[in-house]
Amino acid sequence: MERCRSEIKPRHPARFFLYAILPVLVMVSFLVVYPTIRGVIMSFQNYNLYNLHDVHFVGFKNYRTVYTDSRFYEDLWNTVLWIAGSVSLQFVLGFILALLMWEPFKGRGIYAGLVFYPWALSGFAIGLVWSWLMNGTFGVINDVLMRMHVIEYPIHFLSDPKWAMLSVILVNVWYGIPFFAIMILAALQSVPKSVVEAAMIDGAGPMRRLFGIVIPYIRPTILSTLLLRVIWVMNFPDIIYGTTRGGPAGATETLSVYMVNVVFYENDYSKAATVGVTILAILIVYTLIYIKTTSYEELEL
Amino acid sequence: MVVRKLSVILLVALSALLIAKTTLTVVEVFTSPERDAILKEIINRFEAQNPGVKINLISPPYETAYQKIYTMVSNKQPIDIVEVGDWSLSTLASMGGLENLEPYIAKWDGAKYMLPNLLEFARIYKGKAYLIPNAVYAKTLFIRKDVLKKYGIEHAPKTVFELYGMASYLTDPRKGQYGYDFRGKGYPTDFIDLFVTSFFNDIDPNNMYLTKDGRLIWDDPRAKLGLELYVKIFKNAAPKDAVNWGFSEQINSFVSGIAPLLYQDPDTLGVLRDNLPDNLYETDPLPLGPYGKAYPHYGFSGWGIVSYSKHKDLAWKFIKFFNSPEILSYWCKNYGVLPPDMRVYENDPFFKSDKYKGWIEMFNDPEHYQFTKQPIWSEAWGKWTDLQERTTQEILLGKKTIDQVLKEWSKFWKDAGLK
Repeated sequence: MERCRSEIKPRHPARFFLYAILPVLVMVSFLVVYPTIRGVIMSFQNYNLYNLHDVHFVGFKNYRTVYTDSRFYEDLWNTVLWIAGSVSLQFVLGFILALLMWEPFKGRGIYAGLVFYPWALSGFAIGLVWSWLMNGTFGVINDVLMRMHVIEYPIHFLSDPKWAMLSVILVNVWYGIPFFAIMILAALQSVPKSVVEAAMIDGAGPMRRLFGIVIPYIRPTILSTLLLRVIWVMNFPDIIYGTTRGGPAGATETLSVYMVNVVFYENDYSKAATVGVTILAILIVYTLIYIKTTSYEELEL
Repeated sequence: MVVRKLSVILLVALSALLIAKTTLTVVEVFTSPERDAILKEIINRFEAQNPGVKINLISPPYETAYQKIYTMVSNKQPIDIVEVGDWSLSTLASMGGLENLEPYIAKWDGAKYMLPNLLEFARIYKGKAYLIPNAVYAKTLFIRKDVLKKYGIEHAPKTVFELYGMASYLTDPRKGQYGYDFRGKGYPTDFIDLFVTSFFNDIDPNNMYLTKDGRLIWDDPRAKLGLELYVKIFKNAAPKDAVNWGFSEQINSFVSGIAPLLYQDPDTLGVLRDNLPDNLYETDPLPLGPYGKAYPHYGFSGWGIVSYSKHKDLAWKFIKFFNSPEILSYWCKNYGVLPPDMRVYENDPFFKSDKYKGWIEMFNDPEHYQFTKQPIWSEAWGKWTDLQERTTQEILLGKKTIDQVLKEWSKFWKDAGLK
């Protein structure tokens, strides 16, 4: 037995570890590092559909074009609204759902399945489905509201600039709640019941128990999920693209939608790369600040 | 024994013949199972007529087809025929990937039966044709006869003013009834341009955005009149929601009868055939402007020959076969596009129904309908469709005035070097 084990032991541990992580290293550099570097390089070039062969460096020209356009700043503001609205509502509602499902009850499995299922759908499909539900002329939501006499005329959820951003945020909330619900529910399972019960016996009310015991216990999960979700939502054009394409008149255009639009309408890959690099830079700064202000050890990635 | 020997020899000879076949490689763009079945049938017929020729069809997924073809052509991969659309024509031709077909066209009698001005559309790159269109798109007016009849209207609108009057007369938001299937998002360019240019009588036959004396149409006061009518149609004859309507919303509201007047392309016929009883709708010529003019345009795709092909004459033979009236008739009927050849409309009873009436009347009436190119060869074209969509939405939502936007459009095209 002893002999066998010593034979399996690698002769060069360092080399062995290298071989072991090599596949991952290759994958990561091929799928993440290379595209990132290529994207940064492209943003300094003049690579577009009309110019596939004479590609050369043009300095900061693309950045000047993007940053001198007021559209960029409108989209930046839209992005802030989109992230703040989506993530905060997703988080609060997801948290509440997780708390509701904490205690086992009859049919919890089915209930959890129903709650989690939006997370399994494609964002673009969700966008298309909701654009029909919220349609201002033949949408189901307006029809129901009008039959219930809540409203007299249909609400133009996606075509009125005052409503459009709120509408796409609500769709994203519907989509994103399960993520928080799943993650927080998993974390809640690790909160020792005995501590909560002890607090109850000591006379702590539900709010006190929540903020005094539950939240501190699951703080690492909360911090890491919030960090991740902000990054995802910022990079997530699917729902907006499926519902409004960034319209009407740019009212729902976030930076990631802008990037897609630049590719589809202008066929200017370098300009799209510039927007992409800008998003990346914003996210790096955000992540650094986030990690600095919370404490890094707590992040459970 | 002798028989067996003979048959072996025959078999060997046959397989040698098979190996010695010439292969034409064809790359298509608009891949779909239904279309591929039609295409394969045509290929089989060609192969049956031309023993010794084999056609190898490559069908990349549509989403990546253009990029794939650009790469194949720039790497000189062995292909002979490519499907070219109006959008990819300039790019492929400027890469030097396409063969100039003018010498072939000069000797081809099919050329004189082409739809009015269609070959000129194929000549957008340096005035030479690099493809022969076999599928044509053009906007026409679709009407819901039953809905109009309900309101006592018996005929299609002949002018844009009549269209506006009719559409706003029908409109009653409380009943959920509207007149015009407005297109607010997802490339609304054609719809805007049709209304604006119908107010002109002197559009340059080679460029929809210029007048005959070379001025940009956006600087002309008539463009403002056209846009004003377009905005009025939105305000009084379409749901407010339509600022966010794309193709499927337009079709949906036409099928459901919410709005009975629709501008659309021939591919709509396929959708309507599956969703509406045949007697409820028809097509009519596009309404004319105050001068009795309208300026529709063609969208098209067709086959082009790759410049480095080793079988150019055979490739041309295939294209000529494909563009014969019989094949075009089969192809266009099943694929749901307009045939590019006038003879097909005369020979095939299928195209004599009221579903094709709108287009046929326009094709036969060059005095009122001048099919005119938009400057899609310009590098700025893609950006333009985005700008025009956004700024038109801004007008519709009251964020900008028509004057402001027209100035923006004029500046855009001056910067793009059109003027």
